[in-house]
Amino acid sequence: MEEIAGNDLVIEKREQAVLELADFDEVVRVYRPRILRFLLASMADSDAAETITQECFLKAWVARHQFRGDSSLSTWLTRIAVNLMRDHLRSRSLRFWQKTRGAALDVVDISDWLPDGRSTPESLAVAQRQVAEVWKAVQKLSAHQRTVFALRFVEEMELDEIAAALDMNLSTVKSHLYRALALIRERMGGKR
Amino acid sequence: MKFRGKEVGEIEAMESREEVRELAEALSLYRSAMTHLAERSSAHPRPAVQRSASPFRLRLLVGPAVGAALAAGILLPVYGHLHSHHAAVLQAENTTTPDPASARASVDDTVLMNQIDSQLSETVPDALEPLADLSAQTAATQSSVSEKKQ
Repeated sequence: MEEIAGNDLVIEKREQAVLELADFDEVVRVYRPRILRFLLASMADSDAAETITQECFLKAWVARHQFRGDSSLSTWLTRIAVNLMRDHLRSRSLRFWQKTRGAALDVVDISDWLPDGRSTPESLAVAQRQVAEVWKAVQKLSAHQRTVFALRFVEEMELDEIAAALDMNLSTVKSHLYRALALIRERMGGKR
Repeated sequence: MKFRGKEVGEIEAMESREEVRELAEALSLYRSAMTHLAERSSAHPRPAVQRSASPFRLRLLVGPAVGAALAAGILLPVYGHLHSHHAAVLQAENTTTPDPASARASVDDTVLMNQIDSQLSETVPDALEPLADLSAQTAATQSSVSEKKQ
């Protein structure tokens, strides 16, 4: 009885995801900021992040009939974005003579965009320093570690969702996440 | 001594908790900053930058180009050989079976050539025939005189 109820729930979720995709304008409105945020956190290049975000939704529109709702819409879109990002990074690594990125974000860009609400200038300065330290530490992670870190701590995805989006084993995701956190703690002056 | 060890352990645990709390706060601030940055970018999107050709796209372009070049390299000599063979065959057919128009033309040419030959074969034109007779008589006389001398 419970098994049947579980199956019904899965089917209902799938139908809901497919229905959600039917209103594509709404999909773009809801998910575009999330995909862009993930790409900004992973790539640190605002031009590339915006371009890949556009390509991601274009690709999703073209392939919308292939979506069966096996994963959530968010996971599906994230998977498309990850594949496009990998493709982009691979092509960029070929252009080894290109030393600078198009619109690379730096610490000032990031730490200036803290929400208002700090009581004193000192607390704001402390917060900005913390963000800057995390940003610098994240930039030194490997591509896999940075992607997993961004999906977990920026997008707040569950580990199994991250594994599905990256097409990785759960244990591999945990390993990347553990190493990423250890390196960030170390670079922020904490113990390993 | 044991009490001191427990104290040190508690202090270490507190420091660790403090560190974890600071890290969690830093990560939360980092997430907020990224969210604000993404919202700003969404509100004022920049024009998309044309991406350079990726290896996959290059493969898409280079693959057919190489294939076409190879095909051209193989097919063109074969085509050239077949074409020249075909031309030779056509030429042979033309020589063996001439068409009626060219046959008629060649017949006309033959008649004309025969006519010219017959005219040229006349040793002396009609107007000069009396002189020809005269020269023949002279030749005959000369030959008889020489016979007599011998």
